[in-house]
Amino acid sequence: MIGRFIVRRVIIALFQLLGVSLVVFFLIRLLPADPVANLVGLNASEEAYIQAERSLGLDKSLFEQLSVFLGFSEPSGLVDGSLGVSWLTSEPVFHEIGRFLPVTLELVTLSLLLSFLIAIPLGMASATRPGSIADKVALIWGMFAGAQPDYWWGLLFVFVFFYVLGVAPPPMGSIDPMMSRPSVITGFLIIDSILLGRFDVFLSVLYHLMLPVLTLVFVISGAITKMVRQNMVRALASDYILYARSCGLSKKEVGRYALRAALTPAVTLVGIFYMILLSAAVTVELVFSLSGIGQYAIRSILTFDYPAIQGVVLVVALLSLFIYLLLDIIHAYLDPRVQY
Amino acid sequence: MSAPRKADSAATAPILEAEGLTVHFRGKDGAETMAVADFSLTVRPGEFIGIMGEPGCGKSTAAIALIGLVRPPGRITGGSVRFMGRELLTMEDDEITAIRGKDIGLIVQNPRTSLHPMLTVGNQISRVYRAHNKVSKKAAWRHAIDMLRMVGMNDPERRVKAYAHELSSGMTQRVLIAMAMSSKPKLLIADEPTSGLDVTIQAQFLDQMWETANQTGSAVLLVTQDLGIIANYCDRVLIMEQGRIIEEAPVRQFFEAPKQEYSRRILATQRQEGDDASGEAHHGELTDAQTIIRVAGLCKQFPIRGSAEVVHAVDDVSFEIRRGEAVGLVGESGSGKTTVGRCLVRLEEPTAGDILFHDASLGGIKRAAFTPYRKAIQIVFQDPFDSMNPRWTVEKVLREPLDLHTDLTAEQKRERVVELLEMTGLDASLRADQPRQLSAGHQQRVVIARAIATNPEFIVLDEPTSALSPETRIEIIQLLMELSRKLGFAYLFISHDLTTVRVICHRVIVMYLGQIVEVGDKDGVFSHPRHPYSKALLASHLFPDVTNRRVDRAERITLEGEIPSPVSLPKGCYLYGRCPSQKAACADAPQQLRAMPDGREIRCWRVTEGDLPEAES
Amino acid sequence: MSMAEGRGRGRGRGRGQGQDSAPAPRRWLFARLDAFSGNKFFAFGVFIVALSIFLAAFGAMISPYDPQAATGDISVPPPPITEWPRLFYLAISGQLERPPHWFGTDQSGLDVFSRVISAPRADMTIALGGALISLFLGTFLGLIAGFYRNWATELMMRVSDVLQAFPVFITAMILVSLAGRETGNLVLALALVYTPIFIRLTRSEVMAQSARGYVQAAWAVGNSGFKIAIKHVLPNSLVPSLVQLSVTVGFAIILTAGLSFVGAGVRPPTPEWGIMISVGAQQLILGEWWPSIFPGLAITVTVFGYAIVGHAIEQKFRET
Repeated sequence: MIGRFIVRRVIIALFQLLGVSLVVFFLIRLLPADPVANLVGLNASEEAYIQAERSLGLDKSLFEQLSVFLGFSEPSGLVDGSLGVSWLTSEPVFHEIGRFLPVTLELVTLSLLLSFLIAIPLGMASATRPGSIADKVALIWGMFAGAQPDYWWGLLFVFVFFYVLGVAPPPMGSIDPMMSRPSVITGFLIIDSILLGRFDVFLSVLYHLMLPVLTLVFVISGAITKMVRQNMVRALASDYILYARSCGLSKKEVGRYALRAALTPAVTLVGIFYMILLSAAVTVELVFSLSGIGQYAIRSILTFDYPAIQGVVLVVALLSLFIYLLLDIIHAYLDPRVQY
Repeated sequence: MSAPRKADSAATAPILEAEGLTVHFRGKDGAETMAVADFSLTVRPGEFIGIMGEPGCGKSTAAIALIGLVRPPGRITGGSVRFMGRELLTMEDDEITAIRGKDIGLIVQNPRTSLHPMLTVGNQISRVYRAHNKVSKKAAWRHAIDMLRMVGMNDPERRVKAYAHELSSGMTQRVLIAMAMSSKPKLLIADEPTSGLDVTIQAQFLDQMWETANQTGSAVLLVTQDLGIIANYCDRVLIMEQGRIIEEAPVRQFFEAPKQEYSRRILATQRQEGDDASGEAHHGELTDAQTIIRVAGLCKQFPIRGSAEVVHAVDDVSFEIRRGEAVGLVGESGSGKTTVGRCLVRLEEPTAGDILFHDASLGGIKRAAFTPYRKAIQIVFQDPFDSMNPRWTVEKVLREPLDLHTDLTAEQKRERVVELLEMTGLDASLRADQPRQLSAGHQQRVVIARAIATNPEFIVLDEPTSALSPETRIEIIQLLMELSRKLGFAYLFISHDLTTVRVICHRVIVMYLGQIVEVGDKDGVFSHPRHPYSKALLASHLFPDVTNRRVDRAERITLEGEIPSPVSLPKGCYLYGRCPSQKAACADAPQQLRAMPDGREIRCWRVTEGDLPEAES
Repeated sequence: MSMAEGRGRGRGRGRGQGQDSAPAPRRWLFARLDAFSGNKFFAFGVFIVALSIFLAAFGAMISPYDPQAATGDISVPPPPITEWPRLFYLAISGQLERPPHWFGTDQSGLDVFSRVISAPRADMTIALGGALISLFLGTFLGLIAGFYRNWATELMMRVSDVLQAFPVFITAMILVSLAGRETGNLVLALALVYTPIFIRLTRSEVMAQSARGYVQAAWAVGNSGFKIAIKHVLPNSLVPSLVQLSVTVGFAIILTAGLSFVGAGVRPPTPEWGIMISVGAQQLILGEWWPSIFPGLAITVTVFGYAIVGHAIEQKFRET
């Protein structure tokens, strides 16, 4: 039963991805920006312009460009799993993204996990002890619902912890610039450094990720706390909790009952939080000079690097669809009321 | 059949003594309102005590507070509750949890929502069992299976892995009672345990609770609004009003000579229902009136998502309604009565068959084509608050049908609105109010006013009083009869409440699983039901009559098992498998509705062919 | 407890004898404000919202310095807050030859305070414009999708899903960079990015309301589908969207400033909070905190104000 559900969702996701690719393809080509002029300069000769245009493949008709993109013409395309070649660096986009994406994922996943560690107990405390300090903090923080200027908070943290207090490193990347990078296995520095036994790198990464993670945690934990709190309050006031108490289950057991009922419907919200953090990561990476997908996106967009832009959008969309699917499966597993 | 219950004498020590129990609720603004004040009660072993009162009187709150629990945002603010000599309210958590579920059991109102939606039934039963008994998980699981078998669930090994939403209400309630009674508690507190249950299921459930309590010697504290339950099952009754106990008496004494004004009123309303039944003709005599509605072979099926099967909600229903006539349509869940009503006002499109209004065929026309007929055919729903746009004022609500169907000027509409309010017994100043500012009874009056706004000829009333308290119920019924008399409209009164139907209708139609099983004039059907289902239905209905208590009857007519779901229906009689008068031949051929010489129509070959002697019925 | 009984609260009297002819919107507004007035927290939120709109309109006019003109005072730190009352008095009584630099000046000599209070013209216009357009568009489409469920609306929902799969920040950046960094494009980009949320929210609420009794009753009374959608369903489906609006405005402000921060938003030298933060970032690491911190503080406080208002709406309408 669940197999059919997954298959159906994967098929839908593939169609959605196709939709995303088509939309981004046409969108960027229908907008007035001129990537050729960007590449060649405003004072270039007519000849140079035409030559540049040809080299970028922009002299072909829209339809021809589309078939190149999809992979139905000579060079490989989407159908073959290729995202084309960056106009800026001439490197395959797929490889570039493979380098940049893990950095962001590392940052976002770490931040989300830490946020849950903080927000769930806070939300629970707020729900079970209304009127307490925890409750008031949770209430105010939760009001933002994830809307924080992360770039500003990042800078503020840099100022306080680096400049004033001196406990954090300068915002210059994932590891100490003097240190040699370990060779790439997974692309996730934390994992790679452990695998290679480079504990100096491991510690340096944690040290450098401190502030960026703090920034992202700050952005999202309020929203998570609010969600946990709301769901807990609803669960605690429910009939089945009252009934469980009346059957003689201890407060602790009943608390676990309530938590289970409170967190399950919130599983899909995790996906939304992940995507909020992904968006926030774009500017946070800029502040802390981390070479993540956000940086790559900024670079590609500002230089009108079409293949890179398409690649970024596709990969991030793929990521979000994957995460939502995973969460929906977990949700369906946890909550028997969900039909599939 | 069990012997009449012995209510223990005063010589035995009480098991529960509550004194001055007080509960407060904290409102949004922080202010505390009193929900229960000075609640005192003594319970002796084996007693069956009923607590009665209007909604909001605090009876549920008080009952649950007896074991130290309160729904948030409430708090117990005073009093003492001693159970077997031990003070419950000051106990440590681990002490009182040892008592709850073991020595004192609780059953709450909504069975489905009392179970955790994400854990299996077996999981929950075994958890509770392990909370009070040191056994292994496997042993507890086996106990859960045994428990389900004990309450009559078939295939318990499979059912034990089911989730709450997969079971029917009746089934779930029985699971809950199994959980509550499994450790043979000394006291069982049941908070409106049968609200929402069908009449026959309710009878089954209460009978079972009675039997089990007798066997285990438990006392039962039953919170209810239904005088019928009190009259038929309880030894003693407490009446509560606005958080306080205002009267307490043995049940017979209470029914014969209530002390308080409030109690007298309640009893009078219920009594009146009984009186009216035999009293004066409550509405105009039906001279040989013209038939205005003719339903012919009406069928309605609902497709089930993701499956080829359908729900046969309505199966070949035919009847007529004459001008000014009041017809009652009774049945339990799955009977199709609501669907019939909705088809008549075109909120559902019939799958087959026809509905004729003054010879105009309405069964197959498009919804838009039905609109002009809405002037003459109207409907009143069960929940009055839900039936009105919460943001509109009463005036707007009543003006809407006038805007849609009449050519009156604004001034004329205003006058008509006032007229409608007066006709339904409401003060004209209410028209600027919003629905939530009115009491439920007033809300329903407004809904009725809306229904009569265009002077309809026929009104469908779908359980219009089921959501109201007994006192309000009587008011609305009287209003309906009066309006029908004055304005001359006919109506179809759909209900599961036989007491009300008995008062208000000329004729009665009994439905089961989408089919009509019996039709007849009111007096005939109520005094001498012929179809086995009608008999069981009427026998299950708890009339507030202490002289004829159900528990005292030598023989109780019940139906076996659950009401089946109208998806895959059997070839023969639909009641087969539950009917006390069934024979093998009943399962072979589909039963037909046949007219009897006295005007009754019955769908049962044994009755129509005289195979069922009167003595057996 | 009977469902209906639990909700009724005894007879109320009409607000005015005679007709309900008092202008309904005004009565409604006063009644709502009345209910809110006890809450100081909410008052603060409303104040912030009002202030943001006021500054959007008049900020540049009331600023002590021209927000785009260098004052000649380079990198002046702000006066300590204890000095402010005294300075204020001096400024009012005309004893100072030049207005004080309340928030200091940046390395180009631009007065930070003037720029901070002039920035709402750009930030708020774009954020409010984008959020409001997405509200209207999303509500309209959501109503159709929720009420009329056929292949066309299903297709629309699939398209909306595809749009929602796009990462918000990156999409907005693409739209603005490639279409041109004009204010209009920024507004449209935000509208495009936020509309799917409102479609989804409205559709979900419309579907829930359509199952309610009063909609059934509206059919039974004789309304056409169109009338029911407009008269009954729409007004009762707006609450979640209105709550979401406040939060969306907050997100929109942050997005606008964020786009400018990375160089894909408003063009300098227009005063705008994001640009200010970006320009001041270099100096921040060296200790000159005021050019970056004050604009960001302004963003945070403004977003907080909108969040409070959204929270209050949610609380108030939860009962209805």
